[in-house]
Order: sequence, then structure tokens, then C-alpha cells
Amino acid sequence: MSVPTSPQRRTRTALAAWLERHALTALALVTAGILAVMLYLPVAIVFVEAVVDRGSVTLASFAAVLSDPFYVGDLAGVLADPLAIPEHLAGFRDWLAAVSVSATVRRVPGIGLPVPWLAVDTPGVRFGLFGFTAYQAALSTVASLALGLPAAYVLARYDFRGRRTIRSLTILPFVLPGILVAIGFYATFGRTGTINSLLGLVGLGPYPFIEWNPLAIVIVAHAFYNAPLVARVTVAAWESVDVRRVETARSLGASRRRAFVDVVFPQLRPAILAGALLTFVFTFMTFPIVLALGGLELATVEVWIYDRVRQLALSEAATLAILETIVSLSLTYAYLRYESAQTGLSTGSAAPPRDPLFPDARSVLSPRRLAIVGYGLLALVVFVGPLASLVLGSFTDGSGFTLRHYEFLLERQIEGESFQTLPFRAIVNSLLFGLATLAVAVPMGVVVSVVTTRAGRGGTLVDTLAMLPLAVSGVVFGIGLLQGLVFGIPLPGGWRLQITGSVAIVAAHAVAAYPFVTRTVSPPLASLDPAVVESARALGASRYRALRDVELPLVASGIVAGAAFAFAISIGEFSSTVILATGGDAYTMPVAVERYLGRRSGPALAMGVVLLAVTAASFVVVDRVGGRFER
Amino acid sequence: MRRRTFVGAVMGGALAGGAGCLTRDGDESPGDGYELTGNPESGTLTVATYDSMLDGNDPAGPWLTTAFEDAYPDASIEWTAPENGLNRFIQLEEQDASLDADVFLGVNVDDLARIDDTLAEGGLFLELDVDHLDRADRIRDGLDMGDPHDRVLPFDTGYISLVYDETVVDEPETFDDLTEPAYEDALIAQNAQTSDPGQAFLLWTIDGYGADGYLDYWDDLDANGVRILDDWSDSYYGSYMEEERPMIVSYSTDQVFAAAEDQDMSRHQIAFPNDQGYANPEGIGVFDRASNAALAHTFVDFLLSSDAQAEIAQRNVQFPAVAPEHVDLADDFDRYAHEPPEAVTVGYDRLRGTLDGWIEEWARERTGL
Repeated sequence: MSVPTSPQRRTRTALAAWLERHALTALALVTAGILAVMLYLPVAIVFVEAVVDRGSVTLASFAAVLSDPFYVGDLAGVLADPLAIPEHLAGFRDWLAAVSVSATVRRVPGIGLPVPWLAVDTPGVRFGLFGFTAYQAALSTVASLALGLPAAYVLARYDFRGRRTIRSLTILPFVLPGILVAIGFYATFGRTGTINSLLGLVGLGPYPFIEWNPLAIVIVAHAFYNAPLVARVTVAAWESVDVRRVETARSLGASRRRAFVDVVFPQLRPAILAGALLTFVFTFMTFPIVLALGGLELATVEVWIYDRVRQLALSEAATLAILETIVSLSLTYAYLRYESAQTGLSTGSAAPPRDPLFPDARSVLSPRRLAIVGYGLLALVVFVGPLASLVLGSFTDGSGFTLRHYEFLLERQIEGESFQTLPFRAIVNSLLFGLATLAVAVPMGVVVSVVTTRAGRGGTLVDTLAMLPLAVSGVVFGIGLLQGLVFGIPLPGGWRLQITGSVAIVAAHAVAAYPFVTRTVSPPLASLDPAVVESARALGASRYRALRDVELPLVASGIVAGAAFAFAISIGEFSSTVILATGGDAYTMPVAVERYLGRRSGPALAMGVVLLAVTAASFVVVDRVGGRFER
Repeated sequence: MRRRTFVGAVMGGALAGGAGCLTRDGDESPGDGYELTGNPESGTLTVATYDSMLDGNDPAGPWLTTAFEDAYPDASIEWTAPENGLNRFIQLEEQDASLDADVFLGVNVDDLARIDDTLAEGGLFLELDVDHLDRADRIRDGLDMGDPHDRVLPFDTGYISLVYDETVVDEPETFDDLTEPAYEDALIAQNAQTSDPGQAFLLWTIDGYGADGYLDYWDDLDANGVRILDDWSDSYYGSYMEEERPMIVSYSTDQVFAAAEDQDMSRHQIAFPNDQGYANPEGIGVFDRASNAALAHTFVDFLLSSDAQAEIAQRNVQFPAVAPEHVDLADDFDRYAHEPPEAVTVGYDRLRGTLDGWIEEWARERTGL
């Protein structure tokens, strides 16, 4: 029996068909629109400051920065007179000749433990602010990889109680405001901190770890933020390694080790490098952590940008910001070229099975298990220590255990005035913005992936530009948003274009978050066999339909990983939220933490613990729900 | 034409979300003359200030709202605490954009210098009309904010001092003491680029050693192991409270908090090197383009009333701006809030055009580069 189709219904089907055909284009246009207004416009407004002086274009401020030894160290001479190449080369040769490297033994301060040390003796080279910034970022990246990769290994290869929960919680450090982390680190590594209390039990200490080597502590703090990120992207890649290829290699006689090096590792490499790149870029633009733990002697470029902004010297700030962005964007470009060259073919995924971590009591003593236990202890100190210290701090005051910091939150919630920051409102806002960010950033990220993965070298360029949110400093993005969207852009006829409030906040969060979706989706998408998509298309599927029904299910784990990041970015985002939330009640949990600071930190710590608890709970939920779609 | 369509299309999406995005610039001409307009006892006053006036522990904002609205039933107060503080209004004024606020609570002397370095001299705020202020003469001596254009009046003041642990170090008598071996690796200061007390402490040393000598003094402090951290909260709650060091640049009202929290007082001793404290008076100013300048003046006068002065002192934990006979403070406050024998401050005239350079030179030498 056939049902006659009404004209309405036919229109609707036609419309649906049209929409489906053009869905990808429409999504791409919307993405481009959001990026133009929320990213390129604000950034352009700031960058124009660097090159326009009283209406005319000038490169004077670049010349000033690039010839200032304070910023670029010994390169200043070269940059001031770039054409005197022979002299520069001669200078470099003399310098190289004077460098000596010697192996020595150093003693760990306080304990007297000797360690081998490679002493590099250079004739006083100055690296300048940029050089130092890159140096600490490089060290931070190494530390984050060293701490993150073992975690990825354990999480991907072993089964144990709480594995999925721990995997969900790896994202937690990401959302914590810098000041909380600094206080947590002091409470852990400080002179009266947890570690010294433990050492005191065995009659050691107290050691001023932070003062001994502030740089080392800053680097550990950076690893606290970024090692989980490295672990997370790597686990996602590891779980989508095709186990059949490993089995093939093994059946052809490869040892376990050989199979890992030749089959598994190449599939992990893009993820590891992506994690390393993100860590480098983030720590290159670091600011609150270095200052809080290290002080001015560890100042970075971002510190100077912030200072210039405060002094309203916007053109110098913008100049520094452009140089900073050039560094991080070139790294991103280099990485993306590499990533597209790495594209292999994979035919669906069959995840490798996980071994039980401790099959029986005796296995604990095997060297591999012992190493894992040792790593676990280290992770406990670095990750759990600061978090536990924060929680402890929120329950104590000068005289011992107290609940009054939480009472403060409750009281504020019940009796607070409309212009005050209410804790529950902050929680609800954070969760709503997080979900809305998910809804906007995931399609944006996927669209950017699809547009760029099949477009060759041009795609790499577009991809690099699409990574701009990662490469632009938060301070700069903040001024751009303020001057562009919040103050409003004057239009003809006395009108002003202003965008603030919740919609703007979600858009800004989505802009900050979508690169993570793109970075977790692009590699698996690029390694899909194009033949799969082509057959779908040949059978009549639209490009969008092929994407939805064929490609996306195959890269689901990448999307889930990216979605979790998007949510985390939104929950933890501070600077643009606080700028766009002016005067309204669109504040989030991190904003509430900062507002409660006042002159006693108890309430801020309590709010920080609420932030931790709510975020931890939502991540466990996100990951459990997300996990269902992974395979 | 095409640009309009594009803007319209972009806005359509944003408007759908409920955000009002297109606004029309008001017609009010910015500050022609200084005559007070508006009704002094009714209307809505938008007060811009900093976070902790509204959201810290026991903040002053809510009390001020209730008390002012009780005194003037036809008036109401709205608050706003923009992230970048007064800079926001300087930038808005530069662009001729709407300020959306009538007064700013918490103007420092260096803010005035920065306003005048950036905008035209005497910009942003009205010259206050003293005829409309009954209580302006209550302000105590030595709290003059030094503005040649009389744009602000102080409503409270804090003194930067040293806070130390008497079980570890003795009270330093002079600035020079801080460079002695007895105070090696003892002091925590804050970054003058990012922190108010940090900047005040730097200015204090400039007051003591002069613009030619302060960098040398800081070199000596460095050699003696001063540690400079980002801002007051993380240096205090992190480093100082974790007993990394026995001395910190902080406020002379520290004991008020310490007593309220039953802390061990030996760790909260106040030192005034050279018998001085650096005064950081906080002022209130009325924006040039305030919608109701008369009501704003009423609010300024209200802040100087005895009740308001006592509450602000207590809740902001700062000293009142008025002379002692005009304010009754709680016994505990009198007991624990210490006033320096001599208050010093670097005035507006010296800050004009030089503050940024002082800070930058100081900061450049403090980096490890």
C-alpha cells in the first residue's frame, strides 16, 4: 500500500536533501564566521597596534624590540645589522671555539648525593627574554613527556581497578586556576609542606625545595598541567592502534619489542608530537605559574606583554605578541607538515587487549611492575600532592580544622546580593557553558579537520591558521576581545557593534577549544583509506553523509578525546570569560575563585575545591558516556 | 552596503542568543563645563570598583548599598567590577565609547598619573565640586592625593609595611638593615609590575634612595637574597604562610586578620623600617560623563560620613580617611591595626611620566637575563 506524499512533505524532503548536500559547506561557513568575529577580528585589532602609529604604518617598534639585547640577547647585534654576514659568522666561530663541554660530578644540595653532570662552559652568551622563555618551555616539554608517556603506557596497556576513572581525571589539572596550583605546590613542596613533613618522620629536612631551584619546581608545575595532556592524547592514539597489524608482525617473527618499534610506535608518534607541541606552545606563553613559584628572575615574554598592557603601552605589547605568535605558529606549521607526511593507511581499528596490572601478588615483584609502582609513587607526589594540599587547605585555618570556608560559600549562596558572585550560579554557568562549548566546538573542529586533511600543502597552511587560538597569548586575545567586542566597533551612523554575555563567552570558549578537537580528529581521519569514502560517494552518499556515516564512526575515539578537551577548556577558561562576563551574571567557577580571593584565601580555596569536585564528577560522566560511542 | 549585510547576518545569529549587541552611542556631550547636573537624591548610580569590595570576606559593597539606599530612598546603587579596573575606563574614554559607570571607587595616585599620561591632562574624572560636599574637610592631614585637578578624595588608606616572624628575625630598624647578613634570604617582596603592594614597596625605596639610587639599593637587596613573587596573595598564602621565609612586604593591618583567625601573633609582627610606612590612599572619583553628577557627589559625601568610614575601615581592613574625631572604630581594630610613625608616599607630580620607566628598569634588572 502506498501513501500519497503531500506537497508539504515533498518540500520538506527536498529541503532535507538540500540541507544534507550543503551541510558541510554551511557548517564550514558558520565556523569561518565564528572564527572571523571571535578570533581573527580581535587578534587583528591588537596586531594593527604594532604596526600603525598615528595613522601611518611603521616597523619601528619591531626594530626596537629586535635590536634590544634584553629581548633577544646576543642576536640583537645580528638583527640590528643583518647584512654584515661575514662579521656575524666570524663572531659565531669565535664563540663556538670558546665553548667547552666537560663531564663532572655534582652533588644534590642537602643530601650530598653525587650525580653525573655535563658542564657546558660558554663564554657568556645572552639569550634574552625570548631565549629564556624558549629554554624553560623546552625543559617543561621534556618533563611533561617524561611524566606523561609512562602514564599513557600504563593506561593503555594494563587493566586495573579505577583505570577508567583515572583516565577521566587526567584532564583535571587542566582546569585549575594558576593561583590554586601555586598554593598547592607551596603546600606540597614548601618548607612546612607535605613532603617535608613526611621526610621529617624519618629525621630528614626540612628542605626548601622551591628556593633551591625555582626553575625545577616551575617545570614540575608545568608538567602537572601538561603531562596529563600528553598522556591523554597518547592513550587515545594507543587505543586506536590496529592490533591486527601487530599480530601480523608478530606472526612474521618480530619480537614484542620489534613489533612495538616498527608497528605501534609509528602510530603513536603523531600523538606524542602533538602533545609535545601543545606543551611547548603553552609553556612558551606561560605567565602566572612562573611568577608565582619562580618570581621575576624567571620572567617570560608573556610577563612583559602583560606589563606593557597594564601600562597601556599597547604597541610594544602587540609587537612582543606578534613575535611570540610567530614562534608558536612556525612550530605548529612544522608539526602539521610532519603530521600530513605521516599519514599511513589503517583499515578500521581493533584495539590491543589490556593485561591485568597485577594478575597475582607475586607479579608485583617483576621489574616491569616494580617500575610501574615506582612511577605511580612519583605521580602521587606530583599530581595528587598539590590537589590534596588544596583540599586540606580549604578545611583548615590558623588554628586547625574548620568548615567555615564552606560556610562562607553556603552563606553567600543563601544571602548574597544580586551583584555578588553566587557559588551555585557559577557551577551552573560553568556546566552550561561547557556543554554549549562541546556543541559548538566539536562540529567546528571536525569541519576544520575535514576541510584540511585532504587538501595537501594548502591544507597545512589553512590548518596552521586554524591553530591560531593555541598560538596567541591569552593576554593579547583578552585585549582584542575587550577593544573589539566589548567596547564595540564604531559603525557608520553612530552605531556600535558590541558582543558580550553568554553567547560571546560560549563562542570564545569554542574558539579556544576547537583546535583540540581538530588535533585529535585529524590524524586518524587522515589515515583512513580514501577508498572507503569514495565507495560511499560512488554509491550516492553526499559528502556530509559519507562523513557522518562512514568517517566519523571510524574516528570516534579521536572525537571523544577532543570533546573532553573542549569541555575542560571551557570549564577552566578564565581570561576571556572574565572580560566578556562584565556586569552580568555570566561568571564561571574559576572566575568565582578569583573573586573570592580578597585578603584571606580560605573561601577561594573552598571554591577551588568545589571546582575540582564538580569538574571531576563531570569528567567521569563525560568519559563514561563518551566511551560508549568510542567503539 | 555589503558590509552592512554581513554585519546584519553575523548579528542575527548573536541576537538570537539573547545578547543585545548593537547599541547606539548616546548623544550626551562629554563634559562641557563642570556644573553639576541631575538630582542629588534620586536616580541610579553605577559604581565601578575592584572585586574584593564586592566579593571578598565581609566586603564593604553590600553594606554601602543598603545604608545609602536607606538614607536616600529614591536612589539606588548598581555595582560593576571590570577585570582590568581603571584601565578599562581610560581606554573607553580614548575611544569615546560609553563608560556605563558614574563613579570609580578605588583610584590610586598612580592611576591619576596614568590617566594624564594617556588622555589629556585632567581627563576622565570631573573636578569635584567641594561646595556640594559637606564633609570634605573631615579628611585628615597627610592624605592629600596631590591631584592638581582635584578629581579625587580619599575614602580610606592602607600602609605598606613589613610583616615578620619574631621567632626567626628581629625587627629591622632601617632599610639598610635589610641588606645585612641578619636578613639574608629573609624577605619576600612582590613584582611591582603586577602587584599593588609590590609597586608601593618599590616606590617607597625610590622615596628613600632617590631615582638615582633605588636600583643600587635593589642590587644590594638581591645580593642579600630578596625573593620577588607575583602578587600579594600567592606570595602570602604560598611562600610566607608555608614558612619559606620569615618576612614579607604586606599591610600594617595584617594583625586584624591574624587575630580574627586565632593565628599565632609571633608570625604577624609589623615592622616600619626607618619608622615609616608607605601610604596608599584609595580615592573616589566621579566620571566626566556621569549621568547624574549630583547624585554621585551625594555618594562621595556619604562615604565620608562617620558610619560609612567605620564600616569601610572594618570591612576593607584599611584605615579611615577622616580624622579620628569623626570616626568610631572597634577596640580590636585600634589594637591590631598599626599606624606608622611617619607616612610617606610618592606624589602625583613625581609619578607623572616616570612611573612606567622606574618599574620597567627595576623589572629588567630583576630578571635573570
